[in-house]
Amino acid sequence: MTNDLMLLMPLIIVGAGAILLMIASTYDKFTHELAAYGSAGVFAVAFLVQLSSCIAGNVAPFSEVFNGILVVSNFSKAAGLIILACGCFTALSSQTYFRRNNFCSPEYYSLTAFAAAGMLLLTMAQELISVFIALEIMSLAIYILVGYDRKNVISTEAVLKYLMLGAFAGAFFVMGSALVYGAAGSTKFVKIGQYLAANGMLHSPVMIGGAFFIMVAFLFKAAAFPFHAWVVDVYDGASVPVTGYMATALKTAIFAVFANFLVIDGALQHKWITFLFYISVLTMFVGNLIAIGQQSLKRMLAASGIVHSGYLLIALVAVGTKDFTGSVIAFYLAAYAASTLGIFTALSYLGGTGEARKTFDDFKGLAKARPYSAAAISIFLLSMAGIPPTAGFMGKFYIITSAIDAGQITLAVLGIVSSIISMWYYLRLIIAMYFHEASEQFDEPAPSSLAPVCTFILVLCVFAISLYPIAV
Amino acid sequence: MFEHVLSVIIFLPILAGLILLATPASRSVARFTGLAVSLATLVLSLDLYAGFQATGHLEFVENIPWIESLGISYALGVDGISLFILMAGSVLLPLVYFVFGTREKGYYANLLLVQGAMAGAVCAADMILFYIFWEVMLLPVFFMLGLYGGPQRLPATLKITLYTIAGSLLMLAAIVYLGVSYHAQFGEWSFAMDKMAALNLTGRVAAVAFFGFMIAFAIKIPLFPFHTWLPDAYTEAPTATTFVLSAIMAKIGVYGVIRFVVPVFDLEFARFAILLAYAGVIGMMYCGLAAIAQKDFKRMLAFSSASHMGVIALGVFCMNIQALTGSIYQIVAHATSTGVLFLFAGILEERTNTRTIDDLGGIAAKAPVFALYFAIAMLASVGLPGTSGFIGEFMIVLGAIKFNTAVGVLAGTTLIIGVCYMLWMFQRVFFEKTASRSENFKELSLVEGLAFLPVILLIIVMGIYPHPFLSKITPSTALQFAQPASVVAQAPASNAQNLGLTIEQK
Repeated sequence: MTNDLMLLMPLIIVGAGAILLMIASTYDKFTHELAAYGSAGVFAVAFLVQLSSCIAGNVAPFSEVFNGILVVSNFSKAAGLIILACGCFTALSSQTYFRRNNFCSPEYYSLTAFAAAGMLLLTMAQELISVFIALEIMSLAIYILVGYDRKNVISTEAVLKYLMLGAFAGAFFVMGSALVYGAAGSTKFVKIGQYLAANGMLHSPVMIGGAFFIMVAFLFKAAAFPFHAWVVDVYDGASVPVTGYMATALKTAIFAVFANFLVIDGALQHKWITFLFYISVLTMFVGNLIAIGQQSLKRMLAASGIVHSGYLLIALVAVGTKDFTGSVIAFYLAAYAASTLGIFTALSYLGGTGEARKTFDDFKGLAKARPYSAAAISIFLLSMAGIPPTAGFMGKFYIITSAIDAGQITLAVLGIVSSIISMWYYLRLIIAMYFHEASEQFDEPAPSSLAPVCTFILVLCVFAISLYPIAV
Repeated sequence: MFEHVLSVIIFLPILAGLILLATPASRSVARFTGLAVSLATLVLSLDLYAGFQATGHLEFVENIPWIESLGISYALGVDGISLFILMAGSVLLPLVYFVFGTREKGYYANLLLVQGAMAGAVCAADMILFYIFWEVMLLPVFFMLGLYGGPQRLPATLKITLYTIAGSLLMLAAIVYLGVSYHAQFGEWSFAMDKMAALNLTGRVAAVAFFGFMIAFAIKIPLFPFHTWLPDAYTEAPTATTFVLSAIMAKIGVYGVIRFVVPVFDLEFARFAILLAYAGVIGMMYCGLAAIAQKDFKRMLAFSSASHMGVIALGVFCMNIQALTGSIYQIVAHATSTGVLFLFAGILEERTNTRTIDDLGGIAAKAPVFALYFAIAMLASVGLPGTSGFIGEFMIVLGAIKFNTAVGVLAGTTLIIGVCYMLWMFQRVFFEKTASRSENFKELSLVEGLAFLPVILLIIVMGIYPHPFLSKITPSTALQFAQPASVVAQAPASNAQNLGLTIEQK
């Protein structure tokens, strides 16, 4: 039992921290800046605890907690690390962002921590009801965060859209769980897997329907085709730090649970592989088509998030059910999170009051005025595009290797074609920043040094992650 | 000699470049640093050259495991093929700092970065490491072209970048495919280049992987019909970038073919060699004819460079020792002659503010030394006996005739086109009546004259006494064809009527 609690410690710290922050924020003296430092501290402590349990902790790579409802594996630990790091950077860059945009209150940071608690639970959940609870803890907090700027029409539209569609996805998930429970007699992934292994997938229509509904819910949250349409508007409507948080931490959590679900039910993955193959290809290409046409940077990044979901789906298709470590997926998520969060962190201090700078054209000539910020953004973009020696390249390399190793050569080649296409819109921003004359001065000072420091740390992360060798 | 000399040659310029970019150094500091670092690299490479044993295998090997679960390592080494490309870079790049003294900091910093990355690509003995340097090589070119290029630089930048990245990403898939096949056939992961020759690749996927590599290298070389980015990029790029692109980077494309395609895909290569050889010859003719029609001398040199790259590529596709050795010799010869010509073109453009041939005339009277140097480099470029260009072209044509008479005859006769456009251009620019633009043309300064002198001497020495160079190249090229006899026996006879001539036995 003590061991169980130790493994859950990061989750407990973040959850307790969120509650404390919520209570503290009822006092007038507790400003939102204090809340920012407080939540960053909570995330940092939880990150260190998680890190220590990764390095020294449990020797067994795969341990059940609470009678198999939750499982702590190396994969869930890695995903937890990514989520906690994203939370910490988001809190710090939010502090800078809200120096310019004053719609913040201390509850914002409490909600960030609640969302992180839900995400952490999601990475460990091995049972459908816990997945649903975790999903809802996370989503409810995110809904509020998306609509935090209440007076902004776009933001309100975004939250309405996200809330309606998200509620549908949640309903699909519950419906699917009920059907699966009806067929397999259990909500635990392991039991479902055993049932499938014994009876086969196509034996019962209830099972097919249930699994289909659950897939729909996951694909919706993961922003995969054909459930991708909400992404661009919602990311655009949310404030910059929240968008960054959604694009990285939330995606990490969803892909973690998606991978756990597919891998434990080996038979399920096997049956859905063709389906996922097409979903992955379509996600990549539809995302690219959306991204090419965008004028707004945030919308482009949202669409590129769809494309990256497609790459992660490649990894899911290729993932082996035998001794699953998830290292490819975790590595790619880490690489993607570092570069995406980096761009959003940079935008949080470059965007100006009320996010005045939005489009590619607004960033023309940035390199002359702010060479270091422009260089950092270029590095993040190159990493997202998968150009060595950045982390994004290694992530893509691992994904292609695992795909070809699994015999999915077509998928690997299509993934490569998609990343050739994606070069266009990543290069476009670099070209705007470097090769055009500045139309404005960018001379207002950064409102606080936290976000620039975070950007710098993330640049280092982009290179450090690429050097970190993984076991495939 | 210390142990990690190759690493130093690679990372000294890269580190210096990064430091220059990250600090607010002035342009004279940047130029001085660049000069010092490139001269230091030159000294190290000369030392490397002196210590090179010409065993044919990789020498100065460094090997540090990196990602052990996939058998990827930080492995470096040079053999007779890579040594000469490395040397060409080290000898030629210091010239830029002598000749162009008033550029921005980023110009010199990017030049240092590209120098290090090119050295890395040539020395890498692991495919993943090679790929990383190969891609990194492009980034400084992208920035130099986009920041310091001519008026039409943006389309040119996008064209070269998208073209090259498309090619290299396909190559990445092919590299991964090789690694996975190695894992499947030998039960262990490895991306080491020398192990790939042991692979037994057949079937459709192998052919696709072959084209994955071939297209990437054909774009970089550039081989007909993938040359369309070249005229724009070469013309719009600042002189140093054109120089780097034509003198060294294009050669790394050829190097890639020799290193990956010839040993690994021997069967596919034998099957498609005739097609590729014709692509080389057609590129040679087409670009040569296009060069005659150009009015802009930089653009003319761009087409001329593309035409010569066709010859060099042809030497690789002929699949015999003579042609391959000739190719490598010609790589150095072409790097020195065309590289110097592009630098001279840069000087001409800087001092007369025009690139149009018709605006110039009578420069020989104003600047005799410049005209002499230009003439020597130009004659080497067209392959006059007594200059370095002759040896290489002769060996390539010899090998080509041995491979396929028609190809050989076409290649030999096409060389004459080069003489046409070069001499005609020389006549119009350097002789005839003095044009107003070139009236006040300044002669090369003493520093410039002395800086170019070693390279000009090298062109002549290489033309008169090629033996010391050839003796270092031949062992490595001979090893390229030392395939087991069974492979030759299996080679499909679809293209090769005379199999013994197609894949030569050592």
